[in-house]
Order: sequence, then structure tokens, then C-alpha cells
Amino acid sequence: MSGALFLERGLTAAQAMGWMQLLLAFAIAQQSLEHLALGALALRDRMIFVSRLLLCLGLALGLGGPWPVWGLWGSGLALLWRYQGPYNGGSDKMTMLILSCLSLAYLAPTIFWQEMALSYLAVQLALSYFVSGWVKVINPEWRSGSALRDVFRFSAYPVSEALRGLAERQRLLWIMGWAVILFELVFPLALLNPIALKLALLGAAGFHLSNACFFGLNRFFWIWLCAYPALIWFQDRIF
Amino acid sequence: MLRLISLFLPTVFPSWRFFKTVAPSPRIEYRLIEPGQSEAYAVGGWQEDRPRPQHLRLGQMLRWMLWNPQWNEQLYLVSCAERLIEAPSQHSIDEINRRVARLLPQGSQALQFRLVFLSREGAQVVKLVEYESTPVLLAQLQEGPA
Repeated sequence: MSGALFLERGLTAAQAMGWMQLLLAFAIAQQSLEHLALGALALRDRMIFVSRLLLCLGLALGLGGPWPVWGLWGSGLALLWRYQGPYNGGSDKMTMLILSCLSLAYLAPTIFWQEMALSYLAVQLALSYFVSGWVKVINPEWRSGSALRDVFRFSAYPVSEALRGLAERQRLLWIMGWAVILFELVFPLALLNPIALKLALLGAAGFHLSNACFFGLNRFFWIWLCAYPALIWFQDRIF
Repeated sequence: MLRLISLFLPTVFPSWRFFKTVAPSPRIEYRLIEPGQSEAYAVGGWQEDRPRPQHLRLGQMLRWMLWNPQWNEQLYLVSCAERLIEAPSQHSIDEINRRVARLLPQGSQALQFRLVFLSREGAQVVKLVEYESTPVLLAQLQEGPA
């Protein structure tokens, strides 16, 4: 199969759900192992993360039908309660969003409602880029480049002190800031063409990779990847 | 139940407003106080909890893609610090106390933390202390799980 043909290929709803479950199994297992590695966890927390690991194993091996998805959704609720909100901000929100949509897709009485659940996830994924670009472009500090400068200068995110030196590279940060804003704003347009969408998703993954390197947001990289099959299915289904 | 719903709803109706503004950024600082003494008997000054490394090699950054538990815990502590200012709760205080204490050697002193917020005023980055905790015995924090 040529590269162009591969990029043009869509996914069926069942294929998209299968890919999402496989990727989710990896992402949630990675999150759970990180929690367990910290040690000194209360017994109830340890039980939640060990059970999540087992559910990930079931999800990856395709065992238990929808039960691993529902189990992960339930234990996700328990974690929201335990930490009184997300432990890892947006990445935990995306984890719960994917699990909620997959859970509903399995509960759906008809194909129509199953597709509605997957469509909701696809639209939210596209919005995650567009809204993020929109709130930046309407902010004069982002347009001038000073917001990204502040991120490097004093925010809690840069993973090393040396990275704070980037705050002095004003021209570079201005270009980087605008590149991110424009990419996020035009992202939904990639839905008009299957090849453009795959390339946009590749660019988005690169964006998450750079965030992981600069700001240590590794969980965002893996969990956003998990939702990509829903968008590939959605593009093929609608456009 | 209502509380659980209020925690769950933002996950299915997310705002996605990442970095809408660069808000004042919290740092957690702590000090140890001799038991039974007032805060004037602090052992040493305030120290930053988990200061970030000076440099990080590209290989380390890439390894962090797969394995980054300490940094993710640090990001959680940033969330706890922000929550403590926005909506003070014992949960946030306990989480910060226990996770700071876990990395300290065992001792008989009391642990106190404070939240310092960094922000930009004009061209200057300024620090403002927004919260100081009540000292808690280190042994008490270290005996239970985090």
C-alpha cells in the first residue's frame, strides 16, 4: 500500500474503538505504574491503581467485553474523589472524557447512539485545539509573545532552570507562540481531507511531544493520542 | 454526591482553555521547627520543595516521556497550591504536608510550609507569600501513607 493510500484510509467505528482501547490500556497502565512507584500509598489508593492495571491488561487483551472500560470509568471517578479533582489536570480530564464516551458507546442501544458518543469525543478533541488557540489569539499578551515568555520565565512548568533562558529569546518565542496559535486555530479545517487530518494529527503529536520535553507533560502526549482514532473515524464518517 | 458530580462534569464538558493567561505561579517552600518551640526556632530558613535541576539532557527528557512520577507529583502539588488559595480545604493542606514530609529525613521537628506566588509586574518578576501553614510534627506526617 502506498503512503498516500494509507493516509487516505479511514476507520470503522469498531476499529476506532479497538485502537482507542489498546492505546488507553497503555496510557492508563503508564499512569498507574507512576502512582505506584511513588510508594507510601494508602491501601485504598494502592488497590485502585492495581485494579486499574488489571483492567488495562483486560482491555489490551480484549477480555471481558466492555467491563474493563466501565471498570476504568468507575475507578476514574474514585480517583477524582480521592484527589478532589484531577491529579494531572487536562490529561486526567481527557482520560475520563474518553472513558465516558467509550462507556456510553458500549451502553448505546443502537448504532446511531454509539456513533453519537464517538462523535462527541471527536468534536471535543477538535475543540481542545481550537478553543486553546482562540483563548490565546484574543489575548494581547499571547499575540505580543510576552505570555509565552512568562511561561518560560516564572511558571512552574519548565523542567530545568536552563530552559528559563529561553525567555530571553524573544523573537524565537514570538514565532513559536504564533505557530502554536495558528496551528490550533486551523486544526478543525483538517477534517475536510483525510490526508490533511493525518498530517495535522502528526503535527499535534509533535506539539504534545515538545510540551512533554519542555514542561514534563508526558501524560498529555499519550492520552491525546488515545483519542485520535475517534477523529479519524469521524472524518471518514462525516466528510 | 453533588460534590462528586461537580468533580465529574468538567471532565465531560471541558473548557480546554489551556494557558488562557499566565497566572501567578506557586512555589512550595518549607522549614523545620524545633519541637515545642515557636517559629523563631526554625532550623535554617525557608527552602524550596523539589527545586528543578539546572540542566536536563535530551536523553533524560525523552526518558521522561515514559517515566516521570516525581514530576507529575510536583505538578499535582502545584494544583493543590492553587486550590488552597482559590478554595481552601484541609485536603490540599494534608496533601502538601504529607508529600513534602515524605521526601525529608525522619526527625523530631515540626514541618511548616508556605506558598509563594511568582508573577510579573512590569519587567520584574515579584514574589508574594500568600499562605503559611500551621506547623505539624514531621513524625506524625511520615508515619502514615501519603
